[in-house]
Amino acid sequence: MASAVTSSPGTEERTVIVGAGPAGLTAALELGKLGKKGVVFEADDLVGGISRSVVFEGCRMDIGGHRFFTKVREVEALWHEILGEDLLVRQRMSRIFYRDSFFDYPLKPANALRGLGIFEAARVALSYLYAQLFPIADEATFDAWVSNRFGRRLFEIFFKTYTEKVWGMPCSEISAAWAAQRIKNLNLMTALKNAFLRNGTRSGEVVTSLIEQFHYPRLGPGMMWERCADLAASHGLKTHLRSRVVGVHHDGRRVISVDVEGSDGKTRHEASSSLISSMPIGHLVRAMDPPPPAPVLHAAKGLRYRDFLIVGLIVERAELFPDNWIYIHSPEVRVGRVQNFKNWSPEMVSDPSLSFIGLEYFANQGDDLWSLPDDELLKLGAAEAQTIGLFEADEVRTGLVVRSPKAYPVYDGDYETHLRVLRDWLDGFDNLYTVGRNGQHRYNNQDHSMLAGLFAARNVAGANLDLWSINEEQSFHEEVRPEEARGEKTRRGGVSDRQTPSRVEGSAAELLKDAFASYDEVALGGAVGITASLALAVATAVLLLGSNESFVPMLSLLGNYFFGYGVSWPGLAVGMAEAGVFGFGLGWVGAKLINHLIAAFERDLERRLATLTTLEALDGGDVEAR
Amino acid sequence: MLKQDDPEWVLVTRTIARLRARIVAIVSGMVAGFGLFAATLWLVIKGGPNVGQNLGLLRAYYPGYSVTWGGSLLGLLYGALTGALLGWSVAGLYNFLARRRSDRP
Repeated sequence: MASAVTSSPGTEERTVIVGAGPAGLTAALELGKLGKKGVVFEADDLVGGISRSVVFEGCRMDIGGHRFFTKVREVEALWHEILGEDLLVRQRMSRIFYRDSFFDYPLKPANALRGLGIFEAARVALSYLYAQLFPIADEATFDAWVSNRFGRRLFEIFFKTYTEKVWGMPCSEISAAWAAQRIKNLNLMTALKNAFLRNGTRSGEVVTSLIEQFHYPRLGPGMMWERCADLAASHGLKTHLRSRVVGVHHDGRRVISVDVEGSDGKTRHEASSSLISSMPIGHLVRAMDPPPPAPVLHAAKGLRYRDFLIVGLIVERAELFPDNWIYIHSPEVRVGRVQNFKNWSPEMVSDPSLSFIGLEYFANQGDDLWSLPDDELLKLGAAEAQTIGLFEADEVRTGLVVRSPKAYPVYDGDYETHLRVLRDWLDGFDNLYTVGRNGQHRYNNQDHSMLAGLFAARNVAGANLDLWSINEEQSFHEEVRPEEARGEKTRRGGVSDRQTPSRVEGSAAELLKDAFASYDEVALGGAVGITASLALAVATAVLLLGSNESFVPMLSLLGNYFFGYGVSWPGLAVGMAEAGVFGFGLGWVGAKLINHLIAAFERDLERRLATLTTLEALDGGDVEAR
Repeated sequence: MLKQDDPEWVLVTRTIARLRARIVAIVSGMVAGFGLFAATLWLVIKGGPNVGQNLGLLRAYYPGYSVTWGGSLLGLLYGALTGALLGWSVAGLYNFLARRRSDRP
């Protein structure tokens, strides 16, 4: 590193923003709107962070595929404000590729059943039943969390291989917090209900859903951030590219200045009245001068990241596949996801006769994949695309490789402890705000990062907003419930669900109510009666309406018990009435018997209670029940 | 500790139970599914002329079902679905009726 140092201009109020990704640029724009001064330093030569768009041979590539979808109205308004007509509404199509079959995603029952086959589907159903009856008690890991909700087999097909490709470690080592955050309250039954009741609820109320649609900038996500940087600059907050913040000076309570290394290798000193940082939180802590205590440095080194590289291939074919992206779950290939940028926006390619494909690989810096030369990666990408059956390798005209280090913060078993140490130490600074995916070491989407940027800017202007509550209280889930769309609070009191599962705590009386509640004889009789009546009606009607008469003699045997019953329309009416009465009697007697048993247990407990009360009175003190 | 004359204890003893529809559906689904599975398999293993001529008539309701090895698996699925549907229906109706009755003045 060169040692040339230039002095900062003046001591005026000026916020330094580290990183020109969604969080940093949103903060810059908001500061500008609030009339505050500031400057943005970006280490890369493009704005947008991992939401940037790379231009290659006239085509544009999104680093990963970024849907613009949010439940945060303020963020959505900001997107429209920045891009206006250039923010397109696009149809979503995405599928999962697993063992030579494509599955619609989000999953559709009929399609999934067709893809899996009857035997595999039966295996999935049994595995789900098993998970419901014998759930894994300790839900600390991803595999346990998902298996409990979807069954082990479905976990293995639709979660395990892809998740392990993304995170590069076994699901048994991934914290359940990640699943709780990303999958939220979904389980197999909810998923099936959603699939069958698409865009509707049982009450017929329309659920606003953007699962099938999303916004996308005409020229890719980079367009949003290029324009946001321009808007911030028009308010006086300029973005400096190829400017890496390498040091942060402080007095123990406030950040005073930063050292910025330019593309020429020279370092300059910049005064900073406030610091909004989206650089990896561990890097920030290690850049602090004077350095933090050893435990804080240890925690900073303990945070892990997953890196990402994308192989972009220009293919000489106008139409390849209809999806925006395909998840590749098959373990035979290393690619994790395939993007078809033309389907995100037609203007992502310069020539309509071409397609621009992005094959996404998840890696760790220095591993065999990351270290492969670009030409080898291009060959690997083309070969794997051919293996999957997307196109022939010789159809590839040219390509590029983009490596994106620290794309995903890893939620391993220690990350919460490390993050807590870092947060506690950084909370001691009055004028330092961490934002963004890496700034907060949180698997934020773009909208959450932007909200953090907005909050940070407002805090600089005097507000007192909690940046760490974002993405805990703001929901990620794609469906917007009607009450949320109207801006009403949900019954849990917030606008969304909590991030992690919580156990409902009941009082002793609640638990006893569960154990000793008696059954309503009439209600159980009615329920069994109605069900028996309807079941007999359906069984009879199927035979009457169908062509298969082989079962008619068998069902007619019920006439021995239900007088007047036969497989005919009048017989159906008689049978319904009699089955209803019979069912009612069965349910009523069943409930009576259960209630007698419960009453016997209850009397036994009352006797014990009476004994304990007597002993207590004799003893004059407390008697612990054993 | 709760005592017999505590209002909470009185409430406990007067509470009407609710059925957990999902659990009832799963249990009845399993019973019906494995029941049909075992019944089919038993006839297949037993063998003889006209294997399962009566049970096989269930194909009137369950397309594709037969008294064979493969049919036993299909029967498992069909039986489970039917049982689950009936169980869920009974539990759901019971909860609905019990709620209506307890809401009455």
